[in-house]
Amino acid sequence: MSQIIVITSGKGGVGKTTTTANIGVGLAMRGNKVALIDTDTGLRNLDLLLGLENRIMYDLIDVTSGRVPYNKALVRHKKHDSLYLLPTSQVKDKSAVNPDDLIKLCDDMKKDFDFIIIDCPAGIEQGFKTAIAAADMAIVVTMPEISAVRDADKIIGELGRADKENVKLIVNRIRPQMVEKGDMLDMEDINEILSIDCIGQVPDDEAVVMATNRGEPVIAMKDSIAGKAYLNIVGRLCGESIPFFKPPKEGFFAKLKRLFSMLF
Amino acid sequence: MSEVVKIKGLKTGLQLSFAKGASFEDIQADLQNKLESGDKFFIRGTTVFVQKGYFSEERNEKLRRMFHRHGMLFSDELKNPAMLPISKIPKRETQSQTQKTLIVNKTVRGGQEIRAEGSVMIFGNVNPGAQVIAGGNIDIRGTCRGSVHAGAFGDTTACVVADRLMPMQIQIADILARSPDDLEMPDHAEKASIKDGRIVIDAVSR
Ligand SMILES: Nc1ncnc2c1ncn2[C@@H]1O[C@H](COP(=O)(O)OP(=O)(O)OP(=O)(O)O)[C@@H](O)[C@H]1O
Ligand SMILES: [Mg+2]
Repeated sequence: MSQIIVITSGKGGVGKTTTTANIGVGLAMRGNKVALIDTDTGLRNLDLLLGLENRIMYDLIDVTSGRVPYNKALVRHKKHDSLYLLPTSQVKDKSAVNPDDLIKLCDDMKKDFDFIIIDCPAGIEQGFKTAIAAADMAIVVTMPEISAVRDADKIIGELGRADKENVKLIVNRIRPQMVEKGDMLDMEDINEILSIDCIGQVPDDEAVVMATNRGEPVIAMKDSIAGKAYLNIVGRLCGESIPFFKPPKEGFFAKLKRLFSMLF
Repeated sequence: MSEVVKIKGLKTGLQLSFAKGASFEDIQADLQNKLESGDKFFIRGTTVFVQKGYFSEERNEKLRRMFHRHGMLFSDELKNPAMLPISKIPKRETQSQTQKTLIVNKTVRGGQEIRAEGSVMIFGNVNPGAQVIAGGNIDIRGTCRGSVHAGAFGDTTACVVADRLMPMQIQIADILARSPDDLEMPDHAEKASIKDGRIVIDAVSR
């Protein structure tokens, strides 16, 4: 049984594309056959994060308009050979694909893949509606700040309206010092408001930016804390129960450095 | 202009009354305005009543079409005792009305709205940016951070109860209150109701 997962957020720039790339690589590292579909038409950058920009021949629009079959447009990853990318067009806009196109495409691709992961554009307009149409699971990415959590809340509402009930949460770019000082929402606040199952807490980590520039998602960097967090997310997606670290109330700072590697 | 048409809640819908001397054109314009601005009284499926014989048949027909376009029913047959204003309904009947409670088994999220002619009971949170409007009481088994309006048809005995009551705005009948800017999360259930013309918050146990 293959699974179709959409990565969405509402607010832009919170880490959807980063999450898509890392989960994709992580699932492929476990031997799954994975396809990533970029639906952020006009602003594509999933190919950049995967270091595949120069290999793109055809795109999503070529496929949905019937010009080429999807397997011609799929780009295989250099290192992880069970990972494929279906890039999108940089010149067309989001209305070039509609929900039915994507449902049909995913239906066709299902037989070839264990996971299909869809990177969604920001916002709740047409592009969002198209991206979520085929999914049987949605992952909402947010950041520990009020505006991102409000948008996540709205998106969860929209997903519910579209009958998407299997919704998971990832909180990205957590900065423990700021949380500790009360300058950032903590997980308890976020869970209380959003009240959906959280499968990941990813720290803010320079290694993510370094990884982006190298075209190799951070999950492949063994010693990075964000990479570790993504490994845990992939484990949870595969049904493993990996506990979350709960920061102790006192003496947290002293232990912070040592604990960091097992934090998330 | 905005006082040309007055709206009053009835057990079975809304009663319209009109400012003295207002022309039919003024009335039409005001209603149109209220309908288009999404006035919270005008819930789809609601019946709107005017006094029998107040308007000519032709004018009634005009109003009927106007309300139909917005999904509401129109009647010029205001005479049945069941249509008395809420305050005049005998106690027993008020109860059967509030027994018609809408149950919501989910969190009401930002941008979502729950409207009910009777009371509402929500098993979940009411999040910031969400709105709950009820003709009767509102009972939230969770945290209330959105906007709530109980007694929306004018029932000043309506109340709002929540496990953690921290709404952005709270309105009961036509009395409005805003939450203080530095609201702490309460650790017990609370109830908001009207006392001496103001909204007051009391602890409740349940
Ligand atoms: N955990 C992290 N630590 C540090 N930087 C991060 C982290 N996650 C994402 N970023 C950075 O944040 C920026 C936005 O990330 P990304 O492009 O994944 O967001 P997005 O939600 O896809 O944005 P858009 O809405 O524009 O599609 C990127 O520069 C990325 O490198
Ligand atoms: Mg993106």
